[in-house]
Amino acid sequence: MPEPTEGHTHRDYDGALSRLRLRVLEMGGLVSDQVTAAVRALLEYDRAAAEQVLLRERQINEYDTEIEAETFRLLARRAPVATDLRTVLAISRAVTDLERAGDESKKIARFALATAERMASDPSVPVHTHLRHMAELASRMMRHAVDALDRADASAAHEVARMDKELDQEFETALRRLMTVAMEHSRVIRATIDTVFALKSLERIGDHAKNVAEHVVFLVSGNDVRHAHAVLGPAAGQRH
Amino acid sequence: MQVTREKQDRAESSPQTVAEAPFPTEKGRSAGQIAIEMTRKVAPDEARAVKARAENLSFFYASVQALKSVSIEIRDKQVTALIGPSGCGKSTFLRCFNRMHDLTPETRYAGRVMLYPDEIDLVSRKVDPIEVRMRIGMVFQKPNPFPKSIFENVAYGLRVRGMRAKVLVEEEVEKALRGAALWDEVKDRLNSSGLSLSGGQQQRLCIARALATNPEILLFDEPTSALDPIATARIEELISELRDKVTVIIVTHNMQQAARVSDYTAFMYLGELIEFDETSQLFTNPSKKATEDYITGRYG
Repeated sequence: MPEPTEGHTHRDYDGALSRLRLRVLEMGGLVSDQVTAAVRALLEYDRAAAEQVLLRERQINEYDTEIEAETFRLLARRAPVATDLRTVLAISRAVTDLERAGDESKKIARFALATAERMASDPSVPVHTHLRHMAELASRMMRHAVDALDRADASAAHEVARMDKELDQEFETALRRLMTVAMEHSRVIRATIDTVFALKSLERIGDHAKNVAEHVVFLVSGNDVRHAHAVLGPAAGQRH
Repeated sequence: MQVTREKQDRAESSPQTVAEAPFPTEKGRSAGQIAIEMTRKVAPDEARAVKARAENLSFFYASVQALKSVSIEIRDKQVTALIGPSGCGKSTFLRCFNRMHDLTPETRYAGRVMLYPDEIDLVSRKVDPIEVRMRIGMVFQKPNPFPKSIFENVAYGLRVRGMRAKVLVEEEVEKALRGAALWDEVKDRLNSSGLSLSGGQQQRLCIARALATNPEILLFDEPTSALDPIATARIEELISELRDKVTVIIVTHNMQQAARVSDYTAFMYLGELIEFDETSQLFTNPSKKATEDYITGRYG
């Protein structure tokens, strides 16, 4: 009687699944870089760097299209079940979040272009530290989440959820600061609002990273925790 | 995922509850459980009566043990699929339900297969195998109609049961042929030979023959492996419809078929029952690694 094997009996099925994983990993790395690059462009008034982010955004969309097409083909041809099915679904969902996180970086880059124009009257200076910290955090979360997806590691996913709380707190603090600025300098209201949008984009990127982490929990445990107000216990996601 | 620190602490200090339900909601059910409850085709377990129950059933071909203490509950008017690699004992297990093994010398049953609500032990020596086969029908891999007319193929079982009145027999034959989704195709040529039908039609004729005696359980032993995809789809559709009238147990090599037609699935390996669960659960999140390896194709 046959015995369980290392991979699938169909070797090219294994190949298709690992290609899919690799592509998501690449895409996640790119998205993560975009976040830091966009914020650096903003803080350093670097037009060229901002334009570079806008240019690379297209690559993210290409990854999105390509990975979605591949998952679609895989579902049709292999009819995956169990772990394989959950992997394919988790990847497909994660790609949507990565693409949206990419869009948020694009917004920050656009704002960076505008800010570079009016360097002299930049009201965002008091929150520069926050922007830098949030960008660092959001980018790290994204990298973490995608890595957890690749390794199907639920505990790493929980770490992302924890980091998201830190990000949210940083966002609140930065907002309070900006309000003081807005009250003191009413002529820079427009630029202040833009800064709020940039902060909000970073906060959203964190949410997308957290979503990816939730897809990982689904992949590992089969539990959909997206709307569960779940308790992130230490044993969560462990199956056997 | 947004929770207070306090809630987290509570979860960490009670690892047992966490292990059972890693992501409990306010009501203490995991999101996965809720999703399964929402999507399941059948009512929760307790709502369905048990039609048959194998209790520590072992089976021996001379000195070879083909089944090792299999225990399983077959739910009334549901489809239960048996899957597993060749030689795992699934067909052997299926054949216990209508005593097919009695025809093979030097075979032996141990344990029980109870039929409810009568509480009859199907494998007991005291129970007449002919009576068992009247109540538990079987459809085989290869269609095997009698070399008789279409009508006679179906009427045969009724006559064996002692039904003589012509009108009554005609009525029952039509009912069985309709039940097997064959009536419209054969109503104008009931006197043609059963062997003149196509493979898929022959298989449905065999299902009609089995249905004619109003069985309580219908056993299918790879009923579509000799059929083309269209004939296969019709048989699968038929099995889904039969669920209203009869309890179905099906052995299949086609895992997608098990996923499509059954409410419950049992995975067997080396004569043992490895995992038994609702089909929607087993094919999305099996609890045993061996099941996972088999259904995802990591096997060979």
